[in-house]
Formats: sequence, structure tokens, C-alpha cells
Amino acid sequence: MGTKSLATINFDSELRRAGAYSTHGWRRLLFLAQRYVLGTIGLLIMVMFVWMAISADLICRYDPLSVDSAQRLAGPSAAHWMGTDSFGRDVWSRIVHGARISLAVGIGATVLGSSLGVLVGLASGYLSGWVDLVFQRITDILQALPLLVLALVMTAALGPSLPNVIIAIAIPLIPTVARVIRANTLALRELPFVEAAKSIGMSETRIAFRHVLPNTLAPLIVLATAQLGSTILTEASLSFLGLGIPEPHPSWGRMLSESAAEYVRTAPWLVIFPGVAISLAVFGTNLFGDALRGILDPRQRG
Amino acid sequence: MRSVHALAAAALLLLPAYDLASAAEPKQGGILRMYHRDSPGSASIHEGATYSVNIPFMPVFNNLVIFKQDVAQNSVESIVPDLAESWAWSADNKKLTFKLRQGVKWHDGKPFTSADVKCTFDMLMGKSQQKFRQNPRKSWYDQVSDVTVNGNFEASFELKRPQPALLSLLASGYTPVYPCHVSPGDMRTKPVGTGPFKFVEFKANESIKLTKNTDYWKKGLPHLDGIEFTIITNRSTAILGFVSDKFDMTFPTEVSIPLLKEVKTQAPKAVCVVEPINVATNIIVNSSSPPFDNLDIRRALALSLDRKAFIQIMFEGQADIGGTMLPAPGGLWAMPKEMLESIPGYGPDINANRDEARKLMQKAGYGPDKRLAVKVATRNIPIYRDPAVILIDQLKSIYIDGELDVVDTAQWFPKVARKDYTLGLNLTGNAVDDPDQSFYENYSCGSERNYTNYCNREIEKLFDQQSAETDKEKRKKLVWEIDKKLQEDVARPIIFHGRSGTCWHPYVKGVTIMVNSSYNGYRYEDVWMDK
Amino acid sequence: MFAYIVRRLALMLVTLIGISIIIFVLLRVVPGNIVDILFDAAGFVDPTDKANLEKELGLDLPIWQQYLNWIGGLLRGDLGYSYVSEKPALDEILPRIPITARLAALALLFSASIGIPLGVISAVHQGSKLDYTLRLVSLSGLSLPSFWLGLLILMASVSLFGAMPIYNPNPKTWTEAFAIYAVPAMAVGFRSAALTMRITRSSMLEILRQDYIRTARAKGASESSVNYRHALKNAILPVITVIGIEAAFLIGGLIVTETVFNIPGVARFLVEALRWRDYPIVQNLVMLIAVVVVVANFTVDMLYAAIDPRIRYGD
Repeated sequence: MGTKSLATINFDSELRRAGAYSTHGWRRLLFLAQRYVLGTIGLLIMVMFVWMAISADLICRYDPLSVDSAQRLAGPSAAHWMGTDSFGRDVWSRIVHGARISLAVGIGATVLGSSLGVLVGLASGYLSGWVDLVFQRITDILQALPLLVLALVMTAALGPSLPNVIIAIAIPLIPTVARVIRANTLALRELPFVEAAKSIGMSETRIAFRHVLPNTLAPLIVLATAQLGSTILTEASLSFLGLGIPEPHPSWGRMLSESAAEYVRTAPWLVIFPGVAISLAVFGTNLFGDALRGILDPRQRG
Repeated sequence: MRSVHALAAAALLLLPAYDLASAAEPKQGGILRMYHRDSPGSASIHEGATYSVNIPFMPVFNNLVIFKQDVAQNSVESIVPDLAESWAWSADNKKLTFKLRQGVKWHDGKPFTSADVKCTFDMLMGKSQQKFRQNPRKSWYDQVSDVTVNGNFEASFELKRPQPALLSLLASGYTPVYPCHVSPGDMRTKPVGTGPFKFVEFKANESIKLTKNTDYWKKGLPHLDGIEFTIITNRSTAILGFVSDKFDMTFPTEVSIPLLKEVKTQAPKAVCVVEPINVATNIIVNSSSPPFDNLDIRRALALSLDRKAFIQIMFEGQADIGGTMLPAPGGLWAMPKEMLESIPGYGPDINANRDEARKLMQKAGYGPDKRLAVKVATRNIPIYRDPAVILIDQLKSIYIDGELDVVDTAQWFPKVARKDYTLGLNLTGNAVDDPDQSFYENYSCGSERNYTNYCNREIEKLFDQQSAETDKEKRKKLVWEIDKKLQEDVARPIIFHGRSGTCWHPYVKGVTIMVNSSYNGYRYEDVWMDK
Repeated sequence: MFAYIVRRLALMLVTLIGISIIIFVLLRVVPGNIVDILFDAAGFVDPTDKANLEKELGLDLPIWQQYLNWIGGLLRGDLGYSYVSEKPALDEILPRIPITARLAALALLFSASIGIPLGVISAVHQGSKLDYTLRLVSLSGLSLPSFWLGLLILMASVSLFGAMPIYNPNPKTWTEAFAIYAVPAMAVGFRSAALTMRITRSSMLEILRQDYIRTARAKGASESSVNYRHALKNAILPVITVIGIEAAFLIGGLIVTETVFNIPGVARFLVEALRWRDYPIVQNLVMLIAVVVVVANFTVDMLYAAIDPRIRYGD
């Protein structure tokens, strides 16, 4: 990120002066915010959506499900500043409540997928042998299908509901995480402190979780942030295809899909706002993820 | 012998005169391009239960008799001969005899005879060796004991009791005559008929093509060289295709009111009509288990409905309120307005209705602090989901908190059949605007499509009474009475009867959209294009 | 090397068998099958009719037997019959492949011809305003849902030209052919262009930092010669890898794009077949996709080894 000084070699002392290694939390944060302007913007966008999701009921004047036949398809106005849909429901309230769905699916699927990936990766890398062999083949299998295809078949199989969509999107995330964790674990296993832990009689599981796992956290966080964006997009695509979260939950993808498309010209706000919401949320996570990678994964710096 | 002899010649003479406004001689030729809303499951009309099958394949066939294609309102009076040249009822009204047309050939060149008629209806009654994969309208022929032939060109339907409505059922687009010599399996993939157009190909999810039957028995018809359907499931893409002249016509009765506006702004010259489709959106109530086993709560439910709001939201006001039978002016059997408004819940004062509903709910032990939580099940398609969303919102006013339970299409019917629901939102389509079709199917004890298991022997007697009644006015009075009782019993509250739009470019001539059925008007033999 | 290839091929086979089992089981644990859907439209089920139809379609057999029947057929080149159209699944799938392949090829072409140059420019001008802008554009490319982009394109084309591309199997003019394929290809290719650009950029930066580039600079090679002759040549390898793998994964984007533009390719066919629970189509399509992905991965690895002398598999 804007790395003129980083690209040259002797920058360590300069950075120290600027507060890069300051132990004082605020100073370091401020430094990072200045260094990674885009990343900070991304973080702010993410924080905004999280805040929307958490305090949805406080932000909105209207119930996102409340139907009002007198207020159908009203354009943006002071009362409904993103307009209303064909049911007379307030679009802003639906977007705000939709953030809950998008984040629930995005975060839920990422956390679930990453946790399973970590377990598989740790077991695979640490136990090796036939466990490794079996898990490797499973990740091979999961990786041989594109995310949307696998998610599509799985939601079709499990049926459309919030938990099922989360599961359907989480499973395809497992292999990438598992691969990274496994590679890291293999490398870490040989390091002296693991040897030391073993020599004082720590159990294998304990070593794996107490010593190996924390040391793989950085790449894991980078990966998870990158995946957050694609999970949100996948949920939107599934909903668009009619296989995502069902009514009455206001999901951005479905807001775009059916009825909205019928009002493309008569009520364009129904097509524009949900699309902007999806794009902005994903854009925010991508910006943030990029910066995070720059900070946590020095090899990728540039 | 009371008989209705309809003269084929007269009917034929009338056919080219339908388009008096343009008063032009029909031009020959051209391929009518239409989009199709989805890929039909098969090409076999008898095995289908959706007009996705009727519309593209009705032009391939003929019936014994048919609702006259340029009369918008289907009725016994509008039935004209087709493969039958004439028909006659016996004196006891228990035998219906058809004289068949001679010299008609199937598209593969084989001659059409009475054997084909017998084959078709034996198969529909489940009597033949060969079976349909599915036979959704078997119950239409419950009163038919046998189909007999007399020589090659006469066929008779023997009835268990008089049933004047049978003729209407035979005139539906759902009742083509199939050839004996083609298996049901082949009829699903490459149908053979006697109709004005021959089947060319059906590529699933892509297109359906029909071409002119140059050897059609009605001389000079059809006018078109062929019909091509492009399958486009996304409605707005389809409409964009229509306004940009990729299609001559939209899929019939498939343009929603909002999309109609879109068409009007972008293709102002297009001709659009909005007509009732005879599909009733209704609530199925599980009255065999709590809480809706309580008649008070069922009544409160009926009283809570603001039907105008449904119609305003979904149709911008362009839909109809009625009982089981399709409301006038489209429908033939609807009770008068005053009678309808005397039914609880149909009164114009919604607030008064809901006050009463709340009192009933309080009587049953519910109130603002003790709300009733129920799940409202429905299929995962917009025409089901949308009204369910509105219903849930309206139920809030009578202390009911509804939660939408969206069910995958494949699981909807099994779930309903298991009675695994409390409230459900359902659509009931009527192929023929006739009480026999809707009463028996939806309300008689033991009928497969009587999802609510509503069973009232008293009313069932009235069903038979109206069915056998040959005096039309007397029958109408009976039907009104039955319909009113069904609504008062909250057997299956009807919310509204939907309407839908059809558009075509002004050069397309001779299209008539029926006003009391969306299954019967797609023969297209007299459609032509002025370009 | 030979031993490595054999091992890889064996593993590919294991993967494909695994997928076939997973897909098969996944589809059959679902409550409701094609028979339910057909009867659902009719509004009721006659138990004997239903049983007959299940028998006719072989759905009454134990699941392992159904699986063996399918795999046995696959080995003989018999993909079974579509439940819906009752035509051989192969006849349904094959004609749709070229349509999707054409779209994918165009999308890749678009992605490479936009993504690589912009990625290089971005890297060469690292830290500049231009670099910033390009990176923002590429990030936004990764953030826009492609179905939304497609909808916007359709909306715009109708309001600007009063027309829109609708699929036609035999386009009459070049412009029509262009509109039918290129517009959807761009809608789906935008995302991969963004991805290609990012990869090109970081790969270029990596190379530009290498010793031999610095040596070249020190020896007085011109800036453009360094950037384009030395660096790009070496940076392109990972880019090709990513494009190769992306090719197989484009199918995900094509599913929504083919839906929006109503193109009868294999990708949309998968969604339609899923909706009808047309198992023979779904399972064979999924296998097809898996084969494409696995083969693409393998080819990329082999190419990598062939091009880059530093890589020796199986040592």
C-alpha cells in the first residue's frame, strides 16, 4: 500500500521513529491508519455494516417486513430515503436488516469454514500419516468444484434456510484454509520450541492448539478476510438464483433478483440500492483484507 | 330427444370474421415468435397440469369439441365442433354421442378414427394397458362409465348420472384427442396430433418449434408458417426481448401489472390486455388440529383479511374479489355482489371486521399480551410467497404472529398431504369455469386435491344436485348457495382471483385472450401477421 | 518425472471417484425427487402412479445399486437419460458445451488482454496515483456481483440502443454475434480481469525486486527494456497459472451470467436441472465440471514444469 519507503531497503529505523513498532496502542494504530489509508477506509466500511447489523432496530423507523399498500413503490423521500418496494416496505430498513443476513452468512460461513479448515489442516499437518492422506484427498475433492457450483448443489440438497446456506458456503472454504494451515504446521513442527514442548511431556493435541495454532493465526486471518468478501458474494448469487435465504428475511441478493428486476425502469432504486450495498460491503472487506495482508504477511508486501 | 346440433359449416364461416376492426383479409405466412416462461416438464398435455404445456402444444391438436377461439368468455354456448361434427345428448341425459369428422389425418399420415377417441379417454380413465406417467385430470371422468364406438366415425360417452358439465370439460385445451398408435412416452417428447401446427422440436430450457400443417383439415388454415417459443425464465429479460422486437407476442397471461407499465413506456404501440386467469389465491387451514380446529379462530382469520390491500399491492387494483367461483364479469357462476358482501369478512368495513375478529380471538383466549404464533407455509415461488408476506402482515392485527415457512417445490405437496402445516397459502387454478370442476376437486370428501380435508356431507349432496341439474338458472342459484356456505365454513378462504396481462405488437391479428380460463385459448390457427 | 505423472493421474482418479460419490449421495438424501415435482404440478399424488414412475426411472433401487448403474454406464459412455426430456443426457449436454466454452474463452481473452497490461502498468508505476486508481478499479471488479453488472448492462443497452442482446443460435451479422457472446463475456470477465491484474501486479513487483533485475538496471539497460523484456517475461508464469485455473472456475460466474442473459449453456443448465431434480443431468454436469477443473490443474502444473527449468517434480 503506497509503499515508496517500504520498497527501499533501509527503512527500519525510519519506521521506528514513525511509531510503527510503538508498543503504545493508539500511536501504532494511528501510524497504521496513515500508512494504510485504503485499508482504514475498508475497515470503516466494515465497521459501518457491522454497526448497521447490530443496531438495525434502532436505526430504522420502519419494520422491514411491514406491508403498506398506500406507500407502494414510493421514490426516495424524506420519509423513505431509499424509497419503498412493491409491498410498500421501506427499502432502507430492508437494506439495514439485510446487513444482518449478509454478515450472518458471511461471518458465519467464514468462521465455520475456517474452523473446520483449521482442524483438518492441523490434523493433516501435525498427525501426518494416513490421517494426512485421507484429509488431503478430501480437500482435493472439495477443491475440484467451483465455490458456487458446490454451494448450489448443497443448498439444493439441504433446502433453503439460513443455517443451511451458511453450511453450504462454509464447506467449500475448507480446503484453502486446510492447505495453508497444513503447510504452516509442517514447517512449525520442526521448530525448536515445538521440540522443547514435546520434551517436557506436553500432549500432542495440546502442542497443536497451544503452540502451533497461534503461530498460524496471521495467514489464517488474512485468508479469512479475503474469503469474507467471496462468501457475501456467493450468498447474493445463491439468493439471486432463488436458492438462498428465503423470505421474509431481507437478503440483498434476493431483493435484487425477482420483483426488483420487474421495476427496473419504474422504480430503479429497487435495483440500485441493494446492488450498491453488496458491492460496498464486499469492497470494504477487500480493501481491509488487502491492507491486512500487507501488515501480517510481509512476503506479499508491495 | 333434446339435442344441440351445431353446424360445422356455420362455425367455419364465422371464423375468418373475428377481426372486424381491421376488416382486412388475413395475410398468409410468417413465423410467430413468442417467449415461453419456463421449460415445460414434457410435451404431453394430458400429463401436464400447467398451461406451460397447453400454450405451446395446443396448436398441435384438435379436441372433439372446443371453446370457440375468438369468443373471450367460455360457456356451453361458445362450444363449437372440432373433430366431432356434431353431438347429441340422449333423452335421459346419460349418453353423449359424437359424430366424427371423416378424412382427418394425423401428422404422420395415419387416418383419424373413433378408435383414437376411445384410446384417449380409456387412457384418461385409467382403463387401458398403456398408462400415462401421471394423469392429473382423471377425476374429470368420474361420472363416465364407458366410452363406446359405433363404426369408425361415432363415439359415445356413457354416464353414470346426468352431467351437463362434461361437454365443457371436453372443450378445454386440456382435452385433446391423442392418436392410438403413438405411445404416451413418445407423446411426451414428440407429440403427434391432427391440429393446425406440427411439432418440430422441443429443446429443454431453450426452445419449442412448431411448423404449419399444410395438410390441415380446415382448408386455408392456419395462416402462420409456424410458431417458435424461446424459453426465457427471467421475466424482465423476456419483457426486454419483447419491447426490443425480438418477439411478436409475450407469453400469454404472464405479464405482471408492473411489467405491463414497462411495456407501455417502451413499446407504446403494443396491444396489451389484462384478463382474469381463473386462478384463486386461497388459504388452506388445517382444521383438524389446534389452534384452527376452533371455528372462532377460523372465523377471525376470515374476518381479518383486507382483500383490497392484497389486490392493491399485487395487481395495483386489477384483480377480483369473490368466492370459489370466478367473479363476474369474466366468470359465469359468481354470486351477486350483495350476497357476497353478506359473508363474514367480505363486508367493506375492514376495521369493523377486524374488531369482530379480535373479539373472537379474545373469546378463544388470545389478546395483545397473549399472541398466537403460527407458521404460514407456502411454495418458494413469488406468486405464492408474495401474498403470504401480505397475509402475515395482516394477521398481526388480530393477535396472530405469522412466520413464513417457505417450502421447496418438490416438498410442498408431500408436506400438505401429510397435513404438516397450520396455515398454508395456495393457488388453485380452474381449467374450466364450471362448478363441477372446482367443487369436486377442492371440497369433496376424499378428493386428492382437497388439501384441507374439509368434509361436509350436506354440501356434498348439493354438489351432486347442482351437477345433475340441467336447468342452467336453477343450477346457478344452487351454486351460489354452495359457494356461500363454503366461505362461511371457512373451508378454504379465498383471498382473490388474479389477473394477468398479455401483449402483442399491433401487426399480430386474431389473438383472443379468454376471460374465464387461462387454459383453453391457444389453438392459434386463425392468428396472422399484418406485415 | 514419469513416476510423478503417474501418481498425479492416480490421485486425479481418486478425486473424481470421491466427487461422484459425494454428488450422488447429496442428491439422493434430499427429500423429494423428480417424481414429487412432476406430481406437485398436478396437485396430488396417486400412490400407484408414483410407484410406477419411480420404478420406471430406477429410483426404487437401493442407492448403491443406482450408483453402480450410473458409474457402469459412464464407463461405457452411456450417461443415462434425462428425466425431464427423456432424451440421452449426452445429447442434452453436448450441444450446450460449445456455447459455454465460447463464452469462457472470450471472457478469458478479455481478462488477459485487459488484466495483464494494466497489471504491468500498475506495477511499473508502483505507488503513483495511476497505480492507486488501477488498484481501486481492480478491487471494485472483485466486489461487483456479476449478475448485478449484467442487469445494469442490459438496462443500459435497452435505454441507449432500444435493444438488447438475446441469444440466437445462428447470429446473422457480426455485430449480432458480438452482442450475443461478447457482452455477457465481458460481464463475467470483468471479475477475472480484476484478478489477473492483481496477480500480474504482485508477480511483477516480486520480479522487479529480484537481484538479476537490479543487475540489469546496474548494467545500464533501459527502463522499458528492464520492465518489459526481463521482468514481464518472468512474471508471466504465475499469471498464466492463475488464468489456467480461473478458466475452470469461470463456470461459477457463468451460472449467473447465463441466467441473466438467457444463454442456453451448460452452466445455466445445471441450475435448471437442479430445479427439476433431473439427477442424470446434474450428476453428469457436476462430473464434467470436476473433470475440467482437475485436468486444468494438472495441465497448468505440467506446463509450469515444462516452462520453468527450476521446477522438477518428483525429485
